[in-house]
Amino acid sequence: MKGLKYQLKSVLRDKFCLMTFLLPILVAVALKFMGSIDMSSLGELHFGVLENDLPPQTVTWLERYGPVTVYGTQEELTAAIREPSTNIIGVAADGDSLKTAISGDELDVFQQAAATLPALYDQGAGTGQAEVQILERPDILENLQGIFIPAVLIVAMFMGCTFNAMNIISEKEDGVAFVNEILPMSPSQYILQKVVVGFLFGSLSSIVTACICFRLTWQNIGVMLALILLSSFVAALMGLFIGRFSEGLMIGVVYIKIIMLAFIAVPIVCALIGVSGPLAILCNVVPSQPAFEGMMALSAGKMGTAVKDVGILAIHCIAWFALYALISAKGKKG
Amino acid sequence: MGKGFCSLFKKDCRMLASGKFFLMALGFLVLYTAYVNLGYLRFMEMEPYQVYLYDPAGTQTAKSPLVQTVPSMEEMDAALLADANGVGLDASAGDVQVVLYKGAEHIDNHRADYALSLLRPSTSPAPEVLGTYTPEQKARREITCELLFFELAAVGFLGIAAVLFKEKGMGVIRLHAVLPLRKDLFLLSKLAVFLLSDLVFAVLLTLLNVGLADGLAVLPAVLLQTAILSLMMALVGMLCALLLKDFRQFTLAYLVIAIFAATPVFLSANTSVKFDWIGWHPFYHVYMGLKNAYFGAAISPVYYAGAVSAVILLFLAVQFVFHQEIAKEG
Repeated sequence: MKGLKYQLKSVLRDKFCLMTFLLPILVAVALKFMGSIDMSSLGELHFGVLENDLPPQTVTWLERYGPVTVYGTQEELTAAIREPSTNIIGVAADGDSLKTAISGDELDVFQQAAATLPALYDQGAGTGQAEVQILERPDILENLQGIFIPAVLIVAMFMGCTFNAMNIISEKEDGVAFVNEILPMSPSQYILQKVVVGFLFGSLSSIVTACICFRLTWQNIGVMLALILLSSFVAALMGLFIGRFSEGLMIGVVYIKIIMLAFIAVPIVCALIGVSGPLAILCNVVPSQPAFEGMMALSAGKMGTAVKDVGILAIHCIAWFALYALISAKGKKG
Repeated sequence: MGKGFCSLFKKDCRMLASGKFFLMALGFLVLYTAYVNLGYLRFMEMEPYQVYLYDPAGTQTAKSPLVQTVPSMEEMDAALLADANGVGLDASAGDVQVVLYKGAEHIDNHRADYALSLLRPSTSPAPEVLGTYTPEQKARREITCELLFFELAAVGFLGIAAVLFKEKGMGVIRLHAVLPLRKDLFLLSKLAVFLLSDLVFAVLLTLLNVGLADGLAVLPAVLLQTAILSLMMALVGMLCALLLKDFRQFTLAYLVIAIFAATPVFLSANTSVKFDWIGWHPFYHVYMGLKNAYFGAAISPVYYAGAVSAVILLFLAVQFVFHQEIAKEG
């Protein structure tokens, strides 16, 4: 207990550590209050027209399908169509009909839309001849913000890992690691003391982030807490692994970067492209995947999946802890 | 002076090699190339919407071949659930009813009208093509540009700071105060090492991912932009390394740059999400310079003037801080 007190004391004196843990909270606040960036416009059609070229009712008709931007000259319009970051479709009058222009590098879906637009116009589409039944989407990924928030939470949990790794590496560089080896302390005591600091701060930072970002109800607060605590613990353990295997600060940073990339990329890619089957089970090897999935399930109200993910995380905790204890016991003997 | 520079240059190279810096760059090159060629191009495909028709009586005779018929309403539900961007047409009750999952409002209008128009197909003139790239060429250029920017802004920056902190810790800067060498050589040799390694990296990344012929065509412009970005990042890295106390403090600065500086630039430059204030973001202009080089667009001389003066200003700042550091040490 006394050792822990010293650890905490040294953390509180280090401004860097405190800032690391504050960073995700700052991002969460920014996400919450700076207003949501409207991501839904990404897949939309955008049209560009020349000033005074199309009659107003045609422009109104186009606006049914997406925003219309008016350009003063043909050169400006051409430049806007060719601009690689947008998918603007140029629309011009062609007698009674329309003709379209694209830059040719658009995704298939935009090229197809440009190719069929004149036919839609000629048929007088959108005059309400058919009944349209709109179903609610089954998933909650309507806007990408649903993904951002769990991603920030995962970063928050990951901070425990960064902290622990840095702590151990700098102890190694300063020679404190050698002193630690002769202290009257068992390997498991040492591991616990080292894990606890990163774990405490990582989970605190995640809990604050979760409170800011999620609208929690009393039923799911327990599962959320379990998810946060377990994954912060795994992240803190990962920090120990990084600290153990890296020889210097620079290599440590590289390891941290690679692991952080995997931690964030695996769940987001899985969520975006909807991985299923054996690959989805394999993805659970990365501890952030069950954490992310659990949080998504929780916000969608699927309690069963969330509880299953808590189970997977618990297995992670035990497995990584056992592995680390095994390695350090072996190292001590050797 | 030439001899002194050479020996410093050699020493820096050796130090980077022993810090596994080159190995790391090579590893990232392999990782990025694998990502572009095996993953990215596949993720970026976005098929036109599929249209599913349930028409037990066979009333829709003129329908386009793009329409897929399904034998039952259950199958249509299953198809729509699996492909939430698809559109279902139900002609079983006489009048055609459109069924689709909710998306953005404008897109929903378009999907419904597009699906209905496929029942009465008519040919319309093909759209005029104004650009010169295919979707794959565009995707390759775009992702290569992003990766190069990320690598230069993040890894190069980190590398130079790690090296400087190490030297600071070992007292090399103090040593330079008494060495019979021009003080600036210390800075210049580091800049040269990083510039060279970044240029080699840019050449390999571009040729491997944009393609040999396309890559060679844009290479001169890309190398010029790479040099500007590399010098800027290396100088900022040096400045941070000289000003901050230790490497841990530096990693925080690094995180701030990675998250707050790079994200809005990527969003604004690559998607139709545009921020009004992005023109004030210095990284935006540098990124757009690199992007324009990849897409063969013209770059304004104002940008070059700005970039060169930024590099000079940064160098003067680094020089000033470095001399102060030496004075403090000696």
